[in-house]
Amino acid sequence: MIRSNAEELLRSNIGRFVDSELIPKAQEIDARGEFPMEMFKKIGDMGVFGIRYPKNKGGSGGNTTLFCIICEEIARGLMSMGAITAMQCLMGTNFLFHYGTDEMRERYFLPAMKGEKVACFCLTEPEAGSDLGNVSTIARKTADGYVINGMKTWVTNGPVADFYTVLCQTDPEKKFRGLNFFFIPRQTPGVSVSKPFDLLGTRTTLISELAFSDVKIPHHHMLGAEGLGMDNLLSILSEIRTMTAALAVGLQRAALEDSIRYAHERAQFGKTIANYQLIQAKIANMAVNLEASRLMTYKAAKMIDNKIQCLKEASMAKYFATEGACKAGDEVTRIFGAYGYSMEYSAQRYYRDNRFLLYGGGTHEILQPNIAKWVGL
Amino acid sequence: MKQMQIIVLVKQVPDTTEVRLDPKTGNLIREGVKSIVNPDDRNAVEAAVSLKEKYGAKITVLSMGPPQAIDAVSEALGMGADKGILLSDRAFAGADTWATSGTLGKAIKKLGDFDLIIAGRQAIDGDTAQIGPQVAEYLDVTQATYVCGIDEVRPDAIVVKRRLEDGIERLELRLPALLTVVGELNRPRYPFVGRLLDACREKAPIEVWNAADLGFKTADVGLEGSLTHVVRTFSPKSKRQSEMLEGSARDAAASLIGKILNKKLLRETV
Ligand SMILES: Cc1cc2nc3c(=O)[nH]c(=O)nc-3n(C[C@H](O)[C@H](O)[C@H](O)COP(=O)(O)OP(=O)(O)OC[C@H]3O[C@@H](n4cnc5c(N)ncnc54)[C@H](O)[C@@H]3O)c2cc1C
Ligand SMILES: Cc1cc2nc3c(=O)[nH]c(=O)nc-3n(C[C@H](O)[C@H](O)[C@H](O)COP(=O)(O)OP(=O)(O)OC[C@H]3O[C@@H](n4cnc5c(N)ncnc54)[C@H](O)[C@@H]3O)c2cc1C
Repeated sequence: MIRSNAEELLRSNIGRFVDSELIPKAQEIDARGEFPMEMFKKIGDMGVFGIRYPKNKGGSGGNTTLFCIICEEIARGLMSMGAITAMQCLMGTNFLFHYGTDEMRERYFLPAMKGEKVACFCLTEPEAGSDLGNVSTIARKTADGYVINGMKTWVTNGPVADFYTVLCQTDPEKKFRGLNFFFIPRQTPGVSVSKPFDLLGTRTTLISELAFSDVKIPHHHMLGAEGLGMDNLLSILSEIRTMTAALAVGLQRAALEDSIRYAHERAQFGKTIANYQLIQAKIANMAVNLEASRLMTYKAAKMIDNKIQCLKEASMAKYFATEGACKAGDEVTRIFGAYGYSMEYSAQRYYRDNRFLLYGGGTHEILQPNIAKWVGL
Repeated sequence: MKQMQIIVLVKQVPDTTEVRLDPKTGNLIREGVKSIVNPDDRNAVEAAVSLKEKYGAKITVLSMGPPQAIDAVSEALGMGADKGILLSDRAFAGADTWATSGTLGKAIKKLGDFDLIIAGRQAIDGDTAQIGPQVAEYLDVTQATYVCGIDEVRPDAIVVKRRLEDGIERLELRLPALLTVVGELNRPRYPFVGRLLDACREKAPIEVWNAADLGFKTADVGLEGSLTHVVRTFSPKSKRQSEMLEGSARDAAASLIGKILNKKLLRETV
């Protein structure tokens, strides 16, 4: 039977969208520094946000590999759009999808799939970054629900999100076992949102603090069985890291493609700079990093799709692909000479945006000791 | 009103305006070139899907091409078509426009009743703009080419605008009819991811028909069934001679004017 290859067909179609709709607007969107609602809706219209969820439940019936292809392609156009897409597809909606009630899914999940509502994910606190055990936002159980008090920070989409998935402590004595996720709609009284942060890169991904002051929610807003918050987080950790690696692959591709084009265009000393071996070495290194990053990323993605435990592979992919993206962002701004320092070209954006990949899903200082441990140290 | 049946003709083409030709056979070399849906054909699918959204319709996409042309069919399903037919057979290879339109026409007859056929105006590789009109002739239905607007559909007729060189023509056509559409008609949507992935599954509503399925003998189709054969293809050689004019700017300009007048490119009026 003749059928199209889903991975190739999805890539070529999302790629076409990125080339014709996103890339021509990327600089402008980035410079404006506002949430790119129009682009977000366009991506929602295509059914991209449902890529990880089954079709009969409002999703698009894809898998992690297809999700990564989407992240890579969109990040190739504009990293912040990739970040927003990933948030909407994965962290921002995953717990609502799996543990929300039908009514919550109807009101929030399905509109989120269409790009009509914006999702976000709140783990980090002023005193709890890498150290999530230190989360101190308290959810106190009462007769008719929970009362939440505390503060979250670095919330991607915080300023524009319609609902929050929030990691809270229900019983500090229980430490990790006391951590649970809660669903909090933005309108709930007691929720306040700070002004967006001024950021180095991904300037159109709005990030803010959220404060919860006596926020009352019903019992069924606890997402997942009590005590399993960290286990449930762990269940998507490989996917978060693999997705981040895919975003990094996208940035590497953009930086490499621009570098090659520019090296062919720019002539100095009577020859295009493509003729100079030091430029060739940079291009070769970028290409090799890209190829290796791609292989590691999609190996991990396939393992997730085949339900094989792969935290090690996913962590390696996130680490390697992100470092590759950082190098690519560095090299592209060198190949472009002074124009790499100009806000007029995209090169500067790759240089700033690659930093985004370093923090979420585990910093490299957290990943490296773990990788060392997993290989037997 | 019974459900409108729309057939859309979709061709997969190489993604380059610089198609290379095989110097021996004169045919296009398709190997190694990325394939895309012919741009006008995306407009044709979009037109069909908008009509479906407005009036209700069943859309069947029909494409003739090598097995990889399945991607063009899948994409059309992703955009909203309901069913796909790929005509694929080694025997179809090398068809001229006569053989191509005859094959597409016969497949349409096999599909049964239809109200509307929508094709692109022109394929970016073959570039003849003949297929639409020839299919209409084969099926003996009314046709409008260069359609840039669809104003109204009634059970028995359709009102369209045609792009002419110096204006726009508004036509009412009796159904069934065939339209060929131009890019300005609409802005094609991107395929919906869920539908696109469904089109790749085994149970997708896509059928592949070969020459025998259409009741053709090999001699009826493809290269053998073609009335025209490409004898030779070549790129026209433009003979360029350049001459450098020496001396000061004033001398060079005077010499240039002299040469222009000599060649009678301009007339002296003084
Ligand atoms: C653009 C962006 C978007 C973000 N979006 C979100 C979001 O949507 N939701 C959310 O919850 N959070 C978000 N974050 C926060 C992110 O998850 C945290 O930045 C991350 O967890 C690291 O925490 P931290 O920044 O507090 O660093 P810290 O944990 O304070 O680390 C500081 C430094 O110490 C190192 N370090 C820490 N612990 C160790 C250790 N044990 N061994 C060695 N070195 C160590 C770190 O690697 C780092 O170099 C975002 C951050 C950024 C930059
Ligand atoms: C004189 C002549 C001789 C030729 N000889 C050969 C030959 O020997 N070998 C060879 O390979 N080619 C040959 N061709 C090219 C070949 O006939 C065309 O590529 C093909 O018939 C389609 O024509 P076109 O590309 O010009 O499409 P156009 O007529 O420009 O296309 C208009 C529309 O028709 C529809 N359409 C066209 N083709 C298809 C299709 N295959 N499936 C579905 N819909 C379609 C699409 O909607 C398209 O937008 C020849 C062409 C001519 C004019």
